[in-house]
Amino acid sequence: MPDLADRFSSDDIERVLIDAATIERRVDEMARQVSADFAGVDQLMVVGVLKGAFIFMADLCRRLTIRHHVDFIALSSYGRGATTSGVVRMMMDLKTNIEGSHVLIVEDIVDSGYTLDYLLRNLSTRNPASLRSCVLLSKPERRQVEVRIDYLGFEIPDVWVVGYGLDYADTYRTLPYIAELKARIYQQRA
Amino acid sequence: MLEDDIAKTLVSEQQIQRRIAELGQQISADYSDRIPFIVAVLKGAYVFLADLCRHLRMPHEVHFMAISSYGGRAIQSSGVVRILMDLPASPEGRHVLVVEDIVDSGRTLDYILRNLQTRNPASVRACTLLSKPTRREIPVPLDYVGFEIPDEFVVGYGLDFDEHYRNLPFIGVLKPELYE
Repeated sequence: MPDLADRFSSDDIERVLIDAATIERRVDEMARQVSADFAGVDQLMVVGVLKGAFIFMADLCRRLTIRHHVDFIALSSYGRGATTSGVVRMMMDLKTNIEGSHVLIVEDIVDSGYTLDYLLRNLSTRNPASLRSCVLLSKPERRQVEVRIDYLGFEIPDVWVVGYGLDYADTYRTLPYIAELKARIYQQRA
Repeated sequence: MLEDDIAKTLVSEQQIQRRIAELGQQISADYSDRIPFIVAVLKGAYVFLADLCRHLRMPHEVHFMAISSYGGRAIQSSGVVRILMDLPASPEGRHVLVVEDIVDSGRTLDYILRNLQTRNPASVRACTLLSKPTRREIPVPLDYVGFEIPDEFVVGYGLDFDEHYRNLPFIGVLKPELYE
């Protein structure tokens, strides 16, 4: 990947938290682990949560050495902000029925844990053979509800992160690294 | 191994990555003073999109659309498809760039471009990784093309056969005994 530091005025970015090479190495390790764990499984369904997970998903799945299907789910919150129940509106449900399938949910980040907890509960009502979660970033300090993460890329501090799928107001999403956004960026528009 | 099902590699991982870097440069130059509103059609385009966007040098937005044919049948000659998930934001007044994995007959892309035009964007362009010009049934303007390929059964890099092979990092030709 080229150095894209020039994409935005560097005033927007406080610092690079995780660079592209470190992400790549970690995604590679995670893919090897997933491939080993699901080696005997003939029907693995990898479910990406849009939009945030699409870059992580593209990189992870390309490194899986096992056969699998991919599907996507798109969520949005009801009304303003996230509720503590984690209940979100499914803008686009899965295309396939996961009954009897081994399912791996791929998420970009787990913050409070409400959304992933809700997704796990929602998908488990569909009787999958198994259900696991694979998450690139976790902010343990922010956790409100205990949620099981089977594969985790990085634990990060409670700062506003963008890049590698994570956005702020639909911007910065495709930076090839994870960066901390300058506070004035999200404060000025808040 | 998935690779065992592949008769030959049509475009290698290295060729794809080199070409995407070029496309990224070209798009970045063309949109240097604008913030493109990128529209990707699921599922096929998501791998291409993930790599292409990381090469863009200006701010841009990424939005997804999911479509399917009506009634489980093949896509009709009109190209009309059912929108399963529409764009979460309005493209009105925006510079729209549609990102596709492959253009075959051209009918689906033609329909999507016409559909988006009705929403009053400032401009609409199309970018596809692969194009099969010999299959074209309707002329469709392609502003950015990764590779022109012959009419072969290709999988990988987002393209599937029965939901398999999407994750291959290269474009391969499937062994005929697997689909015949």
